[in-house]
Amino acid sequence: MEYKIEKKPAPGRDEVEVLGDTFEEGTPEGEELGKWRQKLDSREDKLRYLQSGERYWFSEEWFGSEKRKTPA
Amino acid sequence: MAEEKETKSIDQASIELIEKAAKDGVNTVFDRADAMKPCPIGSVGSCCKNCSMGPCRVPLPKGREETPEDKQKRRGVCGATAETIAARNFIRMVAGGAAAHSDHGRGVAELFLAVAKGKAPGYEIKDEQKLMQVALDWGIEIGDRSNNEIAVDIGEKALAEFGRQEGELITLRKAPLKRQELWRQQGVSPRGIDREIVEIMHRTHIGVDQDYKNLLKQGVRAAIGDGWGGSMIATELQDILFGTPAPVLGKANLGVLEKDKVNIIIHGHEPLLSEMIVAVAQEPEMIELAKSKGAKGINLSGMCCTANEILMRHGVAIAGNFLQQELAIVTGAVDAMVVDVQCIMQSIQTVAECYHTKIITTSPKAKIPGAVHIEFDEHDALKSAREIVKTAIENFPNRKGGVYIPGEPVNQIAGFSHETINYLLGGLFRASYRPLNDNIINGRIRGVAGVVGCNNARVKHNEGHVNMVKELIKNDVLVLTTGCNAIACAEAGLLVPEAAREFAGKGLAEVCETVGIPPVLHLGSCVDNSRILIAATAVVKDGGLGDDISELPVAGAAPEWMSEKAISIGQYFVASGVYTVFGVTWPTTGSKEVTDFLFKEMEEMYGGMWDFEPDPIRAAHLMIAHIDKKRKALGIDKARERVLYDMEMRRELDAV
Ligand code: SF4
Ligand code: SF4
Repeated sequence: MEYKIEKKPAPGRDEVEVLGDTFEEGTPEGEELGKWRQKLDSREDKLRYLQSGERYWFSEEWFGSEKRKTPA
Repeated sequence: MAEEKETKSIDQASIELIEKAAKDGVNTVFDRADAMKPCPIGSVGSCCKNCSMGPCRVPLPKGREETPEDKQKRRGVCGATAETIAARNFIRMVAGGAAAHSDHGRGVAELFLAVAKGKAPGYEIKDEQKLMQVALDWGIEIGDRSNNEIAVDIGEKALAEFGRQEGELITLRKAPLKRQELWRQQGVSPRGIDREIVEIMHRTHIGVDQDYKNLLKQGVRAAIGDGWGGSMIATELQDILFGTPAPVLGKANLGVLEKDKVNIIIHGHEPLLSEMIVAVAQEPEMIELAKSKGAKGINLSGMCCTANEILMRHGVAIAGNFLQQELAIVTGAVDAMVVDVQCIMQSIQTVAECYHTKIITTSPKAKIPGAVHIEFDEHDALKSAREIVKTAIENFPNRKGGVYIPGEPVNQIAGFSHETINYLLGGLFRASYRPLNDNIINGRIRGVAGVVGCNNARVKHNEGHVNMVKELIKNDVLVLTTGCNAIACAEAGLLVPEAAREFAGKGLAEVCETVGIPPVLHLGSCVDNSRILIAATAVVKDGGLGDDISELPVAGAAPEWMSEKAISIGQYFVASGVYTVFGVTWPTTGSKEVTDFLFKEMEEMYGGMWDFEPDPIRAAHLMIAHIDKKRKALGIDKARERVLYDMEMRRELDAV
């Protein structure tokens, strides 16, 4: 994902650059709700998403209800 | 005998067009169903024509119990018993269905490989994330390789699964671990997609396998090769090529046709060509050409599963389901109906001859005498698509009078792939099925049902679908839908979030309102039933509801089924541990043993079993009873009955 950089006034200094929101404002609605896959743009982001979002299959640590099982 | 004539559909637009067809002197599926009753012997699986000593008919005695002597006599010329004959017929249906889905999958894999090698201009890999996902699933190296390099490996591996001779399909690895183990124990893990289908054809030939249990076992193996193999490959590769579906707003029913525009209906199953037609219909030159012929533009819509495919990815409107294909032509407003494979009635050509519609066949596998054939060439898909769209436009001025488009289109939201459900429930940073599992455990959602399948001219169009789904959601059962059931639900207004308030029980409505989803989720076409399998697996893997699909409070149904594909789908649902109820008719009732095996013994072996109930409300109750049985086994049945005590009630309790 692309990080937003915001400029903010700082006491005793000129403007400084800080990291902006990493979340989206409000709840996406209508068509916006559908456009979620476009939010991940680099291959690393996509792979990271798969490891967490699709952890049921791709995370080393996640076994959910199958954790007691020996691997098939 | 002045009986009032029963309507043939619950859909007003369809009723009006059935009447118009009668006035126009057009013969439709509804007339033919009236004129020709199903054969009572064949419909229960008691007829064999597998060799020329037959056909042999082995019906049960009429109006009395079968005696042992009767049973002895119920044999074909070759000696095959009624059990063997019923089982052979049943698994030949599985073979037909599995072949249809899987050949679709093979077609996708071939195109996929051509795209990866740069030999199919016009197509590209649209979903890199899904490409990564499948590469991880199938153990294909990602590293710094280009998408196309990875895709070549995926395409080759996919194609090899069809002709694989030994071991087991790689796609089975997606299933819950316990299920994979159970399949191995039962000896039904498919070795290769094609191999299991061919083996059915061999074993049902005269004089081969004559043990009904052994025959039915092979049916299970081939069906798993469909749902967890051919169909799954079709879905996965289509997602990579055309994008994984995400929620889209679309419209449904015959009212989507527009009088002033060139109407093109894409009907059939595969999205390969239709994706190109969608692109070409938006080209300025095509729109100009349409205008030069007096039309205001081009209006695309879909029918049957092609409709579901292009709806899920582009929001293209759906004109109708299986029993509406002739009716669409009866409007007089369809300039071309473009068809590929599966569920296309030959009679659309005869109906088209009464109006001006051009039927355009596009697959070398599926031709219709009298229709225009414009073959889809995947290596030059845009050219084929342009020729098709042009043919439609040029046909616009040939419209005859009497165009009638009934009804208004209905809104629907589709596009609920497993990936999107996961995202919607948990968000981008922690996509998850947890909220679903939690709500099942706390009882707001009683269970989940997959309601799928066709229309059938032997029962009122869409009635079984809509009544069953309404009954399920009223009882807090979340419904996942595909195929013609999804279209029926769309036409009845069930695929919008507002439907939750109107039709769902309190618990389910609360969840739908919180997440912002309809109570009935449209997962796609018939091959996308594999998405239901994946969603069920994700529920298992998330935890808290047992460790196999057979432990989940879920059920499946096809209330208006008719195709062999539906039987294959049902068989792999059952083999995956799902209780599955079919309506209309049941094709093995000619043999008690075979039917008992499917309805009872399969539960002991696979945790899931078949059932048959033609009344959709009663069938819904059977599904709910099964869901409750599973809730009880999981120890979560109490959650639904828990009462929240307020202070006054507590005080009363203390006083006791
Ligand atoms: S295979 Fe046997 S039961 Fe079937 S048609 Fe031939 S003789 Fe009759
Ligand atoms: S659901 Fe049945 S009728 Fe509809 S498209 Fe699929 S197989 Fe054909």
